Amino acid sequence: MAAGGSCPGCGSAALVEDAHYAQQQLVCASCGCVLAEGLLTTTYAEEEHLREVAYSQSTGQKEQLSRCLQRGIRRVQDLCKVLQLPTVFEETAVSYFQRAVQHPSFHLVSLEKKELLGGCCVFVTCRQHSWPLTMGTICSLLYAKQELFASVYLSLQKELELSVPALSLADLVKTHLNSFRLFQHAADVPAPFVEDKEKMVTRTMQIVELASETWLVTGRHPVPIVTAAAFLSWQSLQPAARLTCTFARFCKVAGVDLPPPAHLRLKELLEILLRMASQLAWLRVFKMDKKTVVKHIGDLLQHRIFLLKNAFCLEDEEERCATALGEHSPVSPPAQEEGCPAEGKRQREGGPGPLLPPCLTNPRKRLRTAAPSASDLAITGDEPISDSEIEQYLRGPEEIRAFRQAKAWP
Amino acid sequence: FKDDLSTSPQLFTSMSPYDVDLPIQTTEDVLFSSQFNQSKELPADFSSVDLSFLPDITQDNKEQNLSGDSHEMQKELDGSIPRNEDSGIFMDESSSSYPDATQPSPEASDVCPPLTPMTPMTPVTPASESSGIVPQLQNIVSTVNLACKLDLKNIALHARNAEYNPKRFAAVIMRIREPRTTALIFSSGKMVCTGAKSEEQSRLAARKYARVVQKLGFPAKFLDFKIQNMVGSCDVRFPIRLEGLVLTHQQFSSYEPELFPGLIYRMVKPRIVLLIFVSGKVVLTGAKERSEIYEAFENIYPILKGFKKAS
Repeated sequence: MAAGGSCPGCGSAALVEDAHYAQQQLVCASCGCVLAEGLLTTTYAEEEHLREVAYSQSTGQKEQLSRCLQRGIRRVQDLCKVLQLPTVFEETAVSYFQRAVQHPSFHLVSLEKKELLGGCCVFVTCRQHSWPLTMGTICSLLYAKQELFASVYLSLQKELELSVPALSLADLVKTHLNSFRLFQHAADVPAPFVEDKEKMVTRTMQIVELASETWLVTGRHPVPIVTAAAFLSWQSLQPAARLTCTFARFCKVAGVDLPPPAHLRLKELLEILLRMASQLAWLRVFKMDKKTVVKHIGDLLQHRIFLLKNAFCLEDEEERCATALGEHSPVSPPAQEEGCPAEGKRQREGGPGPLLPPCLTNPRKRLRTAAPSASDLAITGDEPISDSEIEQYLRGPEEIRAFRQAKAWP
Repeated sequence: FKDDLSTSPQLFTSMSPYDVDLPIQTTEDVLFSSQFNQSKELPADFSSVDLSFLPDITQDNKEQNLSGDSHEMQKELDGSIPRNEDSGIFMDESSSSYPDATQPSPEASDVCPPLTPMTPMTPVTPASESSGIVPQLQNIVSTVNLACKLDLKNIALHARNAEYNPKRFAAVIMRIREPRTTALIFSSGKMVCTGAKSEEQSRLAARKYARVVQKLGFPAKFLDFKIQNMVGSCDVRFPIRLEGLVLTHQQFSSYEPELFPGLIYRMVKPRIVLLIFVSGKVVLTGAKERSEIYEAFENIYPILKGFKKAS
């Protein structure tokens, strides 16, 4: 196909584009004169279709990082993308990761641990920004063993001296409830199960706060508590229809795992609620049990401050205990007047006991190590050691022979 | 020069609970009273005393000097090597020539103005009454060098109380009944002794193990016996709000209920790790000396008690 123009040699217009090996050439068909040679590189690729060259590629910054570090950083970035974290988090997590890997105690750990290190950095970043992310989530994303993750996390916290604020329960409630599939009508969710999200979140939050005030949260894994509280709040919002539903069924329908401790937490929560119910004037007529108390959770939560004070003898008030509290005024009385009944009454009414963590109220029988006896204390460490005492630990020759014969020792 | 001490400038009054702890005397000999005991005869001969530490007043000293509780001091000095650096100031002071006494004052003047410690110190409640609770020692780990190569197979064959499984662990595990302890004996001749309830018991047990090894025909010695770790525990008898504690003492505490039900408190001075549980039980570990455990507990008790009232 001829381009426009004529050959400068012979003036012919028969110009042909031909390739001399790999090079394009514009050649005159009549005299063979080469008019133009193709460029070795085409303008098409460079100038018209420019691509942005990343800073890290042009400056060789990437080459400065080891491949292991590059892979780790990519992993951290992927994790952040999966969790849909803001970009600020990604940068912070990557910087922590770089600091950590350079630290002598992490420099030579196994690849598995380095991957967990990346996860830990993401976890720490989220915690520092009050983003409620549980270790369980990270472990499941990394397919990691919880114990290994725990040890890497603790050593990371110690070596880099990071201060990690505590997990905020309020945020955890919101995040955890987001994963419940009860807030919209769906094919597999029966109509009575569907619930309004706002109401459920508020009530669950109140129950979780109640749990934390009554020592049910300290020292325990937070997720089972939130699950149990969610179940109770869901039941109490429509008790007529939902009382018959079991905890397991609830979790199955909601599409959420039922962690094993959640049953115990549910039991403890119900016990607390029953104690509170015994102080509510208009409920004392009824015989409350674990099922019926659920119907009144709304009332109990509304008056929880007053009820807690009455239901439990808070230690501070023991000293200023007033005698004989027969009737309770429904309006919150001044602190001096309420308080707990005297000790004697406590047993009779089955009334307020001290507000203690469950581990103190139901102590497991444990062998208490006896205080050192007088003879123990008298040991100086330099006593003479009798031969007979030592010889009792040595084998006699027959014994040795017997062992050798039994080929216990090759 | 007694008068010099009593009329010494206000700079030193804050350090008055520091009785003159003379390193040349054993701590048992020095009786501590809460008053600055002037009646103690100060030895005139300081030739055996090492004064090389004098110029430095470290942060440790400042912290100690400002804590007004001599009771804590007493416990601290009882079981441990006397803190030479603290008494150093007084050493200089009590030397016969008065000009020397002024020597420490430039340094001391650094001490007295309000201090902002550069390293985070566990907050100390001044002049607190003692808790009345004494942590009980539960475990002592010590090491000793038997200074001879050992044939572990031979030991396992000839000793009744030994177990040896080279595929699992490269040491013989030996146990004795009295004091009830366990020892790990390595072929290099080094030995680790665990399970004793006091330093003396640990030492006695280690000696017994060494005797067993001797009787088996090895030229075992008993060198460099050292206590490596001491673990104690006690109960404050009231529940503790761990979430609150981790908020106020964030730089020392680590509380992860997802991982472990207790709060891990890393005390800076003394360098002890405490495990604090909601039930009020406290485990203290990482001590090289008994006094560190007692001191750590006395430091943490007011913090925990303050917490109990606030909640």
